[in-house]
Amino acid sequence: MSAPEAVHPLAGVARGRHGAAGDAPLRVSFPARDIVQVMVRRGQDAALAAAMRTAFGIDAPGPGHTASGSGVTAIWIQPGQWLLTAPRTTEGALAVRAAEAFATCAAVADQSHGRTTIAVSGAVAREALSRGCRIDLHPRAFGPGRAASTPIAQIGCLVHQTDAAPSFELTVFSTLAEPFLHWLLEAGAPFGVEIA
Amino acid sequence: MLRIPCPHCGARDEVEFTYRGDATVTRPGPDGDVGAFHDYLYLRRNPRGWQVEWWQHNGGCRAFLKVLRHTVTHEVRAVAAATETLEVPGA
Repeated sequence: MSAPEAVHPLAGVARGRHGAAGDAPLRVSFPARDIVQVMVRRGQDAALAAAMRTAFGIDAPGPGHTASGSGVTAIWIQPGQWLLTAPRTTEGALAVRAAEAFATCAAVADQSHGRTTIAVSGAVAREALSRGCRIDLHPRAFGPGRAASTPIAQIGCLVHQTDAAPSFELTVFSTLAEPFLHWLLEAGAPFGVEIA
Repeated sequence: MLRIPCPHCGARDEVEFTYRGDATVTRPGPDGDVGAFHDYLYLRRNPRGWQVEWWQHNGGCRAFLKVLRHTVTHEVRAVAAATETLEVPGA
């Protein structure tokens, strides 16, 4: 018996325009992501760094940073822990790849169903996020390749800037993706929100 | 509102942290008597001045941190990882 097809937590959200009309809306999309949590075993930091370089071509990023290679992005989330993210392909494929790469030096947990990523971009993205995000997202303090975990609207959120447009990927627990999106629609309402 | 400079994440607002109490109490060993465990569980110095406290950055990197805070002025003078030692300045 095969497992039932996973339903995206935001599959029921109405696409199209929300909030004010305008030429420069906040652009929102829900990219399907494979998300794998990697937790280093005690004393295995060097082995993990080597394994990450060999298997993914990534130098394990330090606090507040991310690094990309071979279609996979590693995001530092806490001491000794990273999230590996990649566009969703085969169910569990990234987790299997990571489990093999880090078999001796880290614990690996597939979070693809547990976390949901919401991508936002547009010239107003920073201003919209600043209505609930305590992190300074100004280019002098943040930028492409940076990431930070912080509560937004009382929901724990991993904020990851992907380019200077600016574009951000916001990763939250899947069960809180819908209330989080409601906050995002309210925050973006004065500019208009376009959901793709 | 406190601003606590997390060694991993930088300065963050107090709402991202959970206060976990006095960081100077140590648990008695397995042969400690009831009185030692009573003191460990219930007795606190509650100083007027500098105190080393546990704060967990559960809204960010989730690490347990030692924070040297003045209980009157709320000044945060030093923050360290859980494995490090913070000295309380003399009065």
